Amino acid sequence: MTWRKRLSGWLADAALILYFVFALFPIAWMVILSLKPANQLFSTYFSFSPTLDGYRTVLGDSEGIPFVRFFVNSLVVSLGAVALSLLVGLPAAYASARWRFRGSENLMFTLLSFRFAPELTVIIPLFVLYQKLGLFDTYVGMVWVLQLVTLPLIVWIMRSYFADLTPELEQAALLDGYSRKQAFFKVAIPLVKPGIAAVSLLAFIFAWNNFVFPLILTSNEAQTVTVGALSFLGGDRPKYNLTAAAALVSVVPPLLLALTIQRYLVRGLSFGAVKS
Amino acid sequence: MGWRLALRPYLLIVPALLLTCGILYPFGLGLYYTLFDFSASKPQPDMVGFENYETVFTQEAFWNSAWVTVLYAVGAAAVETVLGVAVALLLHRSTPAGRVLEKILILPLMIAPVIAAIIWKLMLQPSVGVINYLLRPFGLGGVQWTDTPTGALLSSIAVDVWVYTPFVAILALAGLRSLPTSPFEAAAVDGAGWWYTFRRLTLPMLWPYVLVAVIFRFMDSLKVFDIIYALTEGGPGDSTVVLQIRAYLEAIRFQRYSFGISYTIVLWAVVYLAAMVLVKHLGKIQRKAAEVAAK
Amino acid sequence: MTSAIAVRGVHKRFGKVNALDGLDLEVREGEFFCLLGPSGAGKTTTLKTVAGLELPDSGTVELGGADMRGVEPYDRGVAMCFESYALYPHKSAYDNLASPLRSPRHRLPAAQARERIGEIAELLGISALLDRPVGRLSNGQRQRVALGRVLVRPARAFLLDEPLSHLDAKLRQQMRAELKAIGAVRHTTTLYVTHDSVEALALGDRIGVLRDGRIVQTGTREEIWYRPYDTEVARAFGRPRINLLPGAVTAEGGFRSADGKVELPIPAGAAPGTEVLIGVRPRDLSLGEGPGHQLTGTVYVTEVLGRSVEVTVRLGEQHVSLVAPRGDAAGLRPDDPVRLWVRPENLLLFEADRPQRPGRRIGQ
Repeated sequence: MTWRKRLSGWLADAALILYFVFALFPIAWMVILSLKPANQLFSTYFSFSPTLDGYRTVLGDSEGIPFVRFFVNSLVVSLGAVALSLLVGLPAAYASARWRFRGSENLMFTLLSFRFAPELTVIIPLFVLYQKLGLFDTYVGMVWVLQLVTLPLIVWIMRSYFADLTPELEQAALLDGYSRKQAFFKVAIPLVKPGIAAVSLLAFIFAWNNFVFPLILTSNEAQTVTVGALSFLGGDRPKYNLTAAAALVSVVPPLLLALTIQRYLVRGLSFGAVKS
Repeated sequence: MGWRLALRPYLLIVPALLLTCGILYPFGLGLYYTLFDFSASKPQPDMVGFENYETVFTQEAFWNSAWVTVLYAVGAAAVETVLGVAVALLLHRSTPAGRVLEKILILPLMIAPVIAAIIWKLMLQPSVGVINYLLRPFGLGGVQWTDTPTGALLSSIAVDVWVYTPFVAILALAGLRSLPTSPFEAAAVDGAGWWYTFRRLTLPMLWPYVLVAVIFRFMDSLKVFDIIYALTEGGPGDSTVVLQIRAYLEAIRFQRYSFGISYTIVLWAVVYLAAMVLVKHLGKIQRKAAEVAAK
Repeated sequence: MTSAIAVRGVHKRFGKVNALDGLDLEVREGEFFCLLGPSGAGKTTTLKTVAGLELPDSGTVELGGADMRGVEPYDRGVAMCFESYALYPHKSAYDNLASPLRSPRHRLPAAQARERIGEIAELLGISALLDRPVGRLSNGQRQRVALGRVLVRPARAFLLDEPLSHLDAKLRQQMRAELKAIGAVRHTTTLYVTHDSVEALALGDRIGVLRDGRIVQTGTREEIWYRPYDTEVARAFGRPRINLLPGAVTAEGGFRSADGKVELPIPAGAAPGTEVLIGVRPRDLSLGEGPGHQLTGTVYVTEVLGRSVEVTVRLGEQHVSLVAPRGDAAGLRPDDPVRLWVRPENLLLFEADRPQRPGRRIGQ
């Protein structure tokens, strides 16, 4: 019995490790590729002389691809989108958690349907509209359209956090002599702060990782890393090491942020449907 | 004063409402465009009624795309569900190895899908890619991964699975950790085996969590774009042209705006219907899980 | 004299639930008023309506004679202790107590605030806990911090929602005794909500009995005890519970039990044939012979309650309980015959209970 138990334990561990090899090998391979010198790209696999030339080229804006600017663009539009969504979404999330009323339910479901709507339904008309309004390839245009990603997430998750907070805490503050605004900022907000931080980071990651909006609604000035990384694959002879370096540079911010919000991920990923 | 109190919640949602309208506006505009023959070559369009939709539904290309989309969505969601739940069950054992691996479980999920597709594209390259290199000792050195119709579809699904299996695993693991312990203790006292416990207790109680994950995954993969765009661009031929790719080609590549939007509206209707069915099912499953937990 | 708190005809619905159904309530200046009722009767809703945290669907709330319509909670000058404590979980006990004293309306200079908080903490026995985050306090400790947050500030009225319910038995008894002696409580109108009739009798200058969103009876503890509005109020007060014997009024104007085994005089006039319940409290029944109405029965069971004994006696088909001094009940065994007596003035007469409402008391 015990040896059978031990054997099944080993098998289970082996299966788990096998999955993680599948999950992690591509990332490891990217690191390897990105460190290869150009002349060893196709002649070697695992033994080569590592160099940072790939990164130098990508970050040095040679090859005619201004990757550093793309990186900055990603930063600006993602931060902008999250900031706008927070500003507008927090009060809405609070209102719909505290008072159930027609307008808020309609808003919530419209936002949820954004989460599941095919992006192109909105982007193609915007592609036409932005060119008329002069918003094509601008930060403002990108921040606006990224609301489709960040606003539903922030409103839904924050509503679930506010709903978990008993209204009696704010009521106690009112009776302590604080105004409603003070009760919100001194009691409700500090208590959901971890939630705000987590959902902001998650929204930032999703905005950063978005591809289809910048693909269609930017061309150069406001283009982001996801589209930028793909352009290294173009040309007659794809430069694998540069592509890998660009891909790695563009996944570093979301990966680092994701590791800091592990505890809050479940609620964020499921739109508040599952709490851990 | 009373009316001011009653108004307060409305004031709080006004900004969000306005911003939402800012997103609804292009959506409505798109819907309106589908009634015209608007394209780059025809900037002054004429009203054509439902002609665009008629064309969509009579085109063989549409039915091909719809078929590919369904294959992709069902395939990806199914593999991710099975694999994700399996990984969650393995991690739930909380062995030392598991606890370390759990911390990095999310990594693929946080990589932009388009970047993931780029990574896999480099690895799957038939002549110089590392996958074929690693397969060579097994006599499989020359697989034309993305260059055959079936291979391209399977490769795209594989990338989807690589990115999104952690999503299912994370939700399923959260579900496993929140299951009540008493039914399991009772089963252990009765001497129930692993398989019986899994079938009769774990699975029915876990289902609601898994189904939430499945709903997200299925509906998201119906509207897949990034992975296919970067990996195959719909090729070879039309073998991986899912609906959003088709809409992109029509609207952006060929600049037939009205026609392209019609595609996305049809897709939107499909996603919406799928959501209705799945969410209704979720309610049923949740009730059943509550019954099992209460026993 | 104007009432400190006056609630007139207040209705409040939550969806399909009628929380308050025409509630009328008057609390006099400086009075300690206990609102007693089972859970779901609308006690908390009453407090929150007075505080302005819930707005009545109809009816008015007056504080000190002024209509409170449209007056925000922070302008009503009332302090409330929540049953859930509603302590700020991200703050220490001290900061919770200091919260009112830092607010725009009750601000005190820091030094004065510290002194005041020190006094209150001393009073409630929580001085040693002030630095702790509230998450690391026991329920009883949290309840005292919540009470402290109310007492620390000036208020025209205190609204206390079951403030002793989570204390252990010994501490509850001690706090019950101390609560009314606290200077702030002695001088401030207090509306105190509880489901515990012992607490209500011990604390309330007057008691209001709340049922289904309405006040059934208001009165001093004597009024509630000796002239309960109906059988349910009578049952709510006193342990062991009041004995209620079913029967009818005889042609001679007396009481005969349903099984015909018990006859008693009735304390008030009622038409012959009326179905009634006659009530007598266990402490008003005595063993042996005495200057009242005699009854005979057999001992069913005895239970020692410290210095006294609860004796359950079979009278015909009914059981009645009585509380006798230990000496009187010594040696009683089950099935021993016993004689009991009761003073006629201690008998209470009620209409029979009906499914839709408990029987009302008959008489003055």
